[in-house]
Amino acid sequence: MNRYVSIFAIGFGLFLPLTCLAQQKVSTEELNFFEKKIRPVLVEHCYRCHSSETAKAGKLKAGLQLDTRVGIRTGGESGPAIVPGNPAKSLLLAALRHETFMMPPSGKLPESVIVDFVAWIKNGAPDPRDGKSVVQTEKIDWQKAREFWAFQQPKVHAPPQVKNAGWPRKDIDRFVLAGLEKRGLEPVRAATKREWIRRATFDLIGLPPTPEDIEAFEKDKSPEAHAKVIDRLLESPHYGERWGRYWLDLARYTDDLGGTVGPVVAPTAFRYRDWVIQAFNRDMPYDQFVRLQLAGDLIAEPVKDYAERLGGLGFQGLGQRFSGNAVGMVKKKVADELDDRVDTVTRALLGLTVSCARCHDHKFDPIPTVDYYSLAAAYNGANLSVEIDLAPQDHVAAETKRKKEAAELQAKIDKLTADEGRRLGRQELARLDEYLLAAWKLRVLAERKQPADAEAVARASNLNSFFLIRWTKALANPKGVPLLEAWHAAALKASETAAMNGPVEPPKDLRDASTKAKSQADDALRALSESEGAKTKLPPAAETFIKVHLSNDGAAFQLRGKDAAAYLSAADRARYDEWGTKLQRLQASAPAAFARAPAVIGGGQTMQINVRGNADQLGNVAPAGFLQILKPQDPSPASKFTRLELADAIANRNNPLTARVYVNRVWHYHFGRGIVGTTSNFGQLGDRPTHPELLDTLAVRFMENGWSTKWLHREIMLSATYGLSSAPDAKNLAKDADNHYLWRMSPRRLDFEVWRDSMLAVAGKLDPQIGGQPYRDPQGKVQLHPEDVENRRRTIYGFISRFKPNPTLTLFDFPEPNVTSDQRTATTIPQQQLFALNSPFALAMARSFAERLEASEKTVDRRLHLAWQLAFSRPPTEREKVVAQEFLRDAASAEEKLGPWERLCHSLLTTNEFAFVP
Amino acid sequence: MSLFDNTFPFSRRQMLAQTSYGVGMIGLASVLAGQAHANTTPLAARPPHFPAKAKRIIHLWMNGGPSQVDTFDPKPALLKYAGQRPDSTARLSTERRTGGLMPSPFRFTRHGQSGLEISELFPHLARHADDLCVIRSMHTNTPVHEASNWLMFTGNVQPIRPAYGSWLLYGLGTENENLPGFIVLGEGQPVNGPSNWSSRFLPGIYQGCQVTLPGDYRPQDVLANLHNANLSPQGQRRQLDFTQRLNDLHRERAGAENAFGARMDSLELAYRMQTSASEAFDIRGEPEQILDLYGLTGLHANAPANARNEARRATFARNCLLARRLAERGVRVIQIYYGNLQPWDTHSDNARGQQTLAGIVDQPIAGLLTDLKRRGLLEDTLVVWGGEFGRTPATEGSNGRDHNHWGFSMWLAGGGVKGGLAYGATDEFGFRAVEKRVHVHDLHATMLHLMGIDHERLTFRYSGRDHRLTDVHGTVVRDLIA
Repeated sequence: MNRYVSIFAIGFGLFLPLTCLAQQKVSTEELNFFEKKIRPVLVEHCYRCHSSETAKAGKLKAGLQLDTRVGIRTGGESGPAIVPGNPAKSLLLAALRHETFMMPPSGKLPESVIVDFVAWIKNGAPDPRDGKSVVQTEKIDWQKAREFWAFQQPKVHAPPQVKNAGWPRKDIDRFVLAGLEKRGLEPVRAATKREWIRRATFDLIGLPPTPEDIEAFEKDKSPEAHAKVIDRLLESPHYGERWGRYWLDLARYTDDLGGTVGPVVAPTAFRYRDWVIQAFNRDMPYDQFVRLQLAGDLIAEPVKDYAERLGGLGFQGLGQRFSGNAVGMVKKKVADELDDRVDTVTRALLGLTVSCARCHDHKFDPIPTVDYYSLAAAYNGANLSVEIDLAPQDHVAAETKRKKEAAELQAKIDKLTADEGRRLGRQELARLDEYLLAAWKLRVLAERKQPADAEAVARASNLNSFFLIRWTKALANPKGVPLLEAWHAAALKASETAAMNGPVEPPKDLRDASTKAKSQADDALRALSESEGAKTKLPPAAETFIKVHLSNDGAAFQLRGKDAAAYLSAADRARYDEWGTKLQRLQASAPAAFARAPAVIGGGQTMQINVRGNADQLGNVAPAGFLQILKPQDPSPASKFTRLELADAIANRNNPLTARVYVNRVWHYHFGRGIVGTTSNFGQLGDRPTHPELLDTLAVRFMENGWSTKWLHREIMLSATYGLSSAPDAKNLAKDADNHYLWRMSPRRLDFEVWRDSMLAVAGKLDPQIGGQPYRDPQGKVQLHPEDVENRRRTIYGFISRFKPNPTLTLFDFPEPNVTSDQRTATTIPQQQLFALNSPFALAMARSFAERLEASEKTVDRRLHLAWQLAFSRPPTEREKVVAQEFLRDAASAEEKLGPWERLCHSLLTTNEFAFVP
Repeated sequence: MSLFDNTFPFSRRQMLAQTSYGVGMIGLASVLAGQAHANTTPLAARPPHFPAKAKRIIHLWMNGGPSQVDTFDPKPALLKYAGQRPDSTARLSTERRTGGLMPSPFRFTRHGQSGLEISELFPHLARHADDLCVIRSMHTNTPVHEASNWLMFTGNVQPIRPAYGSWLLYGLGTENENLPGFIVLGEGQPVNGPSNWSSRFLPGIYQGCQVTLPGDYRPQDVLANLHNANLSPQGQRRQLDFTQRLNDLHRERAGAENAFGARMDSLELAYRMQTSASEAFDIRGEPEQILDLYGLTGLHANAPANARNEARRATFARNCLLARRLAERGVRVIQIYYGNLQPWDTHSDNARGQQTLAGIVDQPIAGLLTDLKRRGLLEDTLVVWGGEFGRTPATEGSNGRDHNHWGFSMWLAGGGVKGGLAYGATDEFGFRAVEKRVHVHDLHATMLHLMGIDHERLTFRYSGRDHRLTDVHGTVVRDLIA
């Protein structure tokens, strides 16, 4: 019976494990062998990485457990470790022999050990061990998972009752105040009008208010004064630059896609950047903003403006692109690029860390591995970073057709002239002696300053004047005619001896040399026609001759293009003209070149799970579709899952996360901290909302108000909460030092872009131009960086590089453009201050600032007033005036390259007050 | 300096000015000002997980990949099998097609008390045999420069993870905030460029700072904005006093926020950095005997036959000397890459290439080890030597060697490693690491361990999970540790 099973098993390996699992009996002899030869080796060399113990500690390698009979037979990610009775199919042996894996990692075991394992497996691998594999995935309790706050639909909550009923201005304030009162915190004083307008202006357009803005606001005593300022700022074209940059952080925007020896430039990336800026300026509804970025090419709605419809696809098209030429890394490259898209989309739009499920089920959130691959299907098979035309499909197709037709016509024309040119060139090359002598005559005549009409000579000798002129020129070359040195020497000698006024007759030497040259040409031409007939390679000597005199560019007998057209037969000439006219018509009908932009196209192919994230090891097929936790409880099975379905699932009122996550981001950018502190992680490991009901209410009302970001700004900024000062308060600080409950406005340091742009604004040097290519010098030759003195554009228009990040941006906490970034870190290190103290940029700004003061005001007092207004949005205090005047006096007496006002201005730009939002 | 004395009783700024700007005094000043603000900066030195054997790393980076069988891994069997391709190596494919085995033309001899075998390419370095801990069983993932460089410097074959130097800076801070804590020296731009020392998702201040210096560099220009071209030192001090005075007044009005104080302290640090950083990079004061040690004396005067190589030697030697000066001043991680692109990539004429390349680095590296040792720095400075992979013992073309990720050699010295050790082994041809194999992740785990860091505990929460340099890999190679 046993024997029968073995034979059967070899044929059908699949059934074998079952047979063996059923086989429990192990003889004493077999037991001894196992205990002496097999188990000790497994314990000593394998269990450290492949046992229940390591599995429990979460350190099991390759999903392979070797300490149970079941485990060793079931195997790990690569398949069964042993196939009893079949050493050849037992991966364990291959690993021990270092044929596939090299195990154990510390070094190959002695050959005798391997022999033992072979014998054991041959014998059916009798194994007395018991115990079950602990490797199994825990089932997700979906019902329970859905109870988590972030997966519940947000609802509108009635604003709570508060004691201090006079303080709230908006519903927001009642939610906030209730939280404060509950914790015994008290709101601090309101910000002054100057503080408020400075804050609001930085917040919305990323620049300080002008003295005129401040004055108008101070004078406006109407109840709508604040709303008017907000409206004015929201209408500013600079609004999109400020808020677009936040989005570009999330979209990991870049102008190159990395590279190894140099940047792989994405020359049209800026169109995505500008698309984002314009989307904010136009207040594009957020759901549409998301849909266009994910699936602008797939949506069915009629669209007029293709730049608007397709320009957002750079959100995905500017994702990571890896090098795929590495051995064994081609599949990994694609998988890593897919992961970039999944990671960016899910963290930026959903606040979920779905990417964690690439290798294993998410450890904290209800996202099984299969969900990762279900969602990734939207991108699977896509061309992940391409450039597309921002135009309707049929226009693009028509243009492609037009270009193809033009190219075909051009090719036909070229062939016609090339054929004729070749024929004529060869024909005349055979008369090389005649050309040489005629050219010599012309040359002598020219030297004698006698009339030398090449056309006439050609006519008289029945030669082609085009070639003859070429030969005359070649002859004039003092280096001689290549390959015809003997002839050239003879020609020179003949010229010298030719009588000054006699008839120009070539001497015998020259005639002989010419005949010799002709026979060289004859030989080469014969060899040419033979080799063409036999399709063999031309002998080297002939090849050189043909190249030099017939086929190289500039060879005397080379005739192409328009030059050849003159010699076409009448019939050919007619065709030539007809095609030419057609071609001209086609070229004249070319539309203006389409603008191009980065994008992703295609995708939507179902994927196989990559076992443990290993792209070379494929598991079950993951049914394409959205995350289970965010799907309706009993979804109708998806027939397909493209980026369009993905977009619809995200930009969807029923998605509990999309609006919450976005509203929370906007809140974060206004207050320096979100209601959920972890703005891109709403999962278990993320923070819980400090004001859950406020967040939900705002999220629902945001959707009800057409997903309008500008509505949201007004809602937030008109609140008393936003209008609080940033004054510290010891009692509040003791209870809520990090201001989670919003008893004040937390002071925030300006991010680098705003700080730099503000210097330009204060210095009166800001170039307000919106959009366009990353900035270059005025001649358009050199890429300019934020630290370059000539660069007066806003920082957002710089060239953002993944290959070589700009060191100034990096120094000031600019986010890493390889991955989505939701928050800027704010570090303080001395090299940042070196920029403020010494950089040519800061000094140039100080100089311009001083010039502006000196040009505008005459007295010290008024200059100081203007300086403070420009830099700090307020007049100087009396103490500051004294300090400043002393400094000016002292600076005036010192011998420095900077004048006192330049130095004063430099100091103002270096202060804390200039670097922080009040 | 007494500018404000009459107007205001006490200025925080002046107090700092009078107390030589000591860091301790900044803390005191803050206390006096009634605000004990956080006086640790993100770069301040932090204690390791456990007592560290090494406080800093100098990584001598032979970009392109040195050939192990020509340097530190003698394989006499290559002579016997010259031109043949034994079965055991038949399946070891590398980047390009390779042919039969090619013996090394270089003689190996035993050196020092340990008898460590080193080829004749490194006569100077051989005198340090008893300091070297050669790992002959290194292996890495792919035979491709880009991927292997990224793996060596960031722990991943794609450019998506922070450099190990950034991790160390994040974990340990630096011992001298007047200098960048992670400095990359070299000539030209190696393959991958800055992505080899990028901080990726760690804060940008942990990024490696690349300093490429021409022969005639001015020390005050080595770092961006280190020098003020417009003000005298006194003028600058006055100016800063005025700025800080305005900052003081601002604090009085707006409140003594930690962030305000931190930036004020940082301005003072920056002011001092101007002189301390210039001084660190100024080798003009180094005595003749030190220049001799690194082979720097008269490098240009000797009118070399091959001027380019001499210039390279001078650059590399100077960078070694700078590495010592930076190590002395508490810089945490110093990497010197050999040169532009990947000079050690000897696909053709391997023997001549390796000879030239080794000839350029031999004396400067030996000089660096001697210098560190004399100053007592070697014991807590971990020196790492190697490329992103090795080279094949088989020929590429007629006389080249291809990339080899299956097995290669690196060496460590100082910083708590065993000297005079040859650890692990490749097969009898030097092709594949077979005994006590050390993967790059294991090397990283070991380097971190020597620096007092448990590689499994140095984590950064990013994108929903805790990341580490070694990802889910890496085992500390304890046998290397003294």
